[in-house]
Amino acid sequence: MPDEIVLTLTVNGDKHRRLIPASRTLLDFLREDLGLTGSKHGCDVGDCGACTVRVGGVPRLACITLAAEVDGEEVQTIEGIGAAEAPLVAAFDKHVASQCGYCTPGIILSLSHLFEQDPAADDAAIRETLGSNICRCTGYTKILAAAREVAARGGQTR
Amino acid sequence: MLPLPSFQYEAPTDVVEASRLLSEPGSQLIAGGTDLLVSMKHRLFEPRLLVSARRLGLRGISEHAGWLEIGAATTLHDVARHPTVLARLPALAAACRTVATPTIQTMATLGGNLMLDTRCMYYNQPAGWRATLGYCLKREGTVCHVAPKGRGCYATHSADTVPALWLMGAEAEFSSARGVRRVAVSSMYREDGIAWLRLERDEVLTRVFVPLDTRRVVHRKLRTRQAIDYAQVLVAVAGPVSPGGTWTAVISSVSSSPILVEAASAAELSEAAFRACQPLSTHLAPATWRKKMVRVEVARAAALIG
Repeated sequence: MPDEIVLTLTVNGDKHRRLIPASRTLLDFLREDLGLTGSKHGCDVGDCGACTVRVGGVPRLACITLAAEVDGEEVQTIEGIGAAEAPLVAAFDKHVASQCGYCTPGIILSLSHLFEQDPAADDAAIRETLGSNICRCTGYTKILAAAREVAARGGQTR
Repeated sequence: MLPLPSFQYEAPTDVVEASRLLSEPGSQLIAGGTDLLVSMKHRLFEPRLLVSARRLGLRGISEHAGWLEIGAATTLHDVARHPTVLARLPALAAACRTVATPTIQTMATLGGNLMLDTRCMYYNQPAGWRATLGYCLKREGTVCHVAPKGRGCYATHSADTVPALWLMGAEAEFSSARGVRRVAVSSMYREDGIAWLRLERDEVLTRVFVPLDTRRVVHRKLRTRQAIDYAQVLVAVAGPVSPGGTWTAVISSVSSSPILVEAASAAELSEAAFRACQPLSTHLAPATWRKKMVRVEVARAAALIG
């Protein structure tokens, strides 16, 4: 039985086909094999959310996802954000919601999923979503301000 | 950086083939992987072969003859948002929504939650951390650091959805190359932190059945933070079927198996729960506080039933 697999993965619109060890995590595949270092290596055990990417539109923790388990899927990383996420990124800039920046890619992808589901997400939904991502700089105040501004505009992140 | 050990990988498309692969020593099923891969990074599991559940067709929720059938690989996120679950089984939706974080809920499965390994502050640690203590009774060692004079392993059953499913009368279907069996969720576990699950190694949890005419159940999870943390005390409470009937609680996260408590009134139920539970101290909370909070949380849940 194989300890290597042929992985087919679409990342930010680009299709890749690689022979990889079955034990490769999605995070290591993105960072080491594709050089996409925007998804961060934080706790490495699924607690912190710094490695959050979207797989088939759904947020996932790349550090505890086997690349093999998302074979054939479409992945979006922070490098692949575009017009849909622009208002969220602008709000982060305006409110200085990023300090050291390590958590920011994961938070942008978590919140972009929330606003896609619910463009006018209320405070409880924003807070619940941010429960997925640890930030040790901002105390979340500025992140909440940025997210609230996007929600107040009815979610133009769509 | 915590690298995964190397392993072989198969993603079979039918349950009989998965069962055949699982019957071989050193093989392990992976569903959401949110606990398993962390444990593998910690070298708690070093399987020779990972058998993926992703192509087994076990995702989805349907309704048949008064039962809700939930595919074991359905994510907690999808269970928590299903209209029938929200309308008829709100305690199950609530329980799914308290697991870890919203992102983990999009990955973790209901089946995986039912099969969740027991947990301990001396067990769920990196290999190097555990080595400094000479490991522990549950894995590689000979002494339980929680109760060095005790005889067993006290790792705690911490599956958030189980107390509610237990009180709802839910059943679990296991398939293997030898056949299919369907058992009550309440009969799946035993009071042993090492061998907490009544299961043969080639069995695959395929579906969870929940009766829709269940009694009203209230779920409560006490934890330090409202995200990521496992419970300090986990309770589900159901009121009497008819006036004067029995109140029932299932308490978890305080022992290696959920604890069932019955009483004639809500007040007696919280006292009975207090007496029945003997939680141990964790690094976050002393045992005395956790024991008192069993009474408080059961009373709070009972008050919500009214």
